[in-house]
Amino acid sequence: MPRPSDSSRPKFAAGCRWGTHGEERVVLFPEGMIRVEATGLSILELVDGQREVAQIISDLAARYDTADPARIREDVLSFLEKLHDKRVVDY
Amino acid sequence: MAIVDKPLALIAELTHRCPLHCVYCSNPLEMVAAKQELATEDWIRVFQEARQLGVLHLHLTGGEPAARADLKDLIQAAHAAGLYANFITSGIGVSESRLGELIESGLDHVQLSIQDSREDRANWIAGTKAHAHKIAFATAANKLPVAFTVNLVVHRQNLDHLEEMIAFAEELAPNRLEIAHTQYYGWAFRNRAQLMPTREQVEHCLSTVEEAQKRLSGKMRIDCVVPDYYARYPKACMGGWGRRLLLIDPAGQALPCHAAGVIPGMKFDNVRDHSLEWIWNESVAFNRFRGEEWMLEPCRSCERRTQDFGGCRCQAFLLTADATATDPACSLAPKHHLVTDQQIAQRDSHIEETTSWSYRANPQ
Repeated sequence: MPRPSDSSRPKFAAGCRWGTHGEERVVLFPEGMIRVEATGLSILELVDGQREVAQIISDLAARYDTADPARIREDVLSFLEKLHDKRVVDY
Repeated sequence: MAIVDKPLALIAELTHRCPLHCVYCSNPLEMVAAKQELATEDWIRVFQEARQLGVLHLHLTGGEPAARADLKDLIQAAHAAGLYANFITSGIGVSESRLGELIESGLDHVQLSIQDSREDRANWIAGTKAHAHKIAFATAANKLPVAFTVNLVVHRQNLDHLEEMIAFAEELAPNRLEIAHTQYYGWAFRNRAQLMPTREQVEHCLSTVEEAQKRLSGKMRIDCVVPDYYARYPKACMGGWGRRLLLIDPAGQALPCHAAGVIPGMKFDNVRDHSLEWIWNESVAFNRFRGEEWMLEPCRSCERRTQDFGGCRCQAFLLTADATATDPACSLAPKHHLVTDQQIAQRDSHIEETTSWSYRANPQ
């Protein structure tokens, strides 16, 4: 599947939602759960079906103003694509 | 003793009552009578204890879970406890309004079983006129805000028109299609000769599924696994004995899997007498095949022992009469011939409609 575009509004796929596993925040889906590392968590917390991809990137760029914007963009697009393939995120 | 991991999922067999009589039902041949079933408050306590123990997913199954009038209350309690609630159903007895109530109570996901694309064949497998109700259920599930999976059970009697069944599943429009090869326990083991596919059917199935996955990518996810009788290595049954899952039967007995009751000498503790935590950590049944102490060769020195745990203990027993044997589904098993002999028998026998199989009975 293609990567999301700047105007895509990613959201959790049907049956996917947040859960907790011990102290850890995880994503539950019908057949199991996935653990998300710190960068992924900060991206996924902005996935709400409202924000566009461009907005997610600029929000993260504002939060991590020392990071390279091109790197943030690449992290967001590749992460969303990966979760789309796992059917956790739709866009 | 091995370090005990915490369970991730609880399978709750709420009842063995079911309006269907599927010839491959995974329920045990000896079923729990309605009057022995756990009460609502027992189940609610079990759900709360499960979450405290670390369980994330609750799979509500049966029999037909909708045969319990308190299903809505149970889902509500599961949701309140913080569990992800999955309802596995035949669709019978679940109108659109009832499904709507279950969703409002906190249901996360529903899985509908489908027997065939052709109504007469589907009803023949189920032993009752269920097919039309399932289509109605799928229509309702699509109108409502719930994640929806169709589970298509495949075997010798329907694999020759798998393309047609996938097309039918597309019309039902689930988020996900699970193509589940029959596993040979319970009623399916009794009917194995009529249900086990040929190698040719399995290979055709895998290429058909691959094609459909490509064609439907982004629209409907399709999951399918190679049935273990035709795989090179055995399945890591239940993610390993007493490692990931526990199952509570309708009377409150705690089992490491659906079929564990077939292994002679097993004693299962009951949630009426013990906490779930005690059962998970201390019960003889859950500890019986944990770790590697029980393993025989070739498992004991096999590098795959930490991946598949020697395969399925119940299948090992059903085929070899020794629950500690290497699962004969494994190509390295000393008794692998028990599986290959069956493959040959399936290849050499005709696929034909039979009236000689056993329909799943209902409990008292």
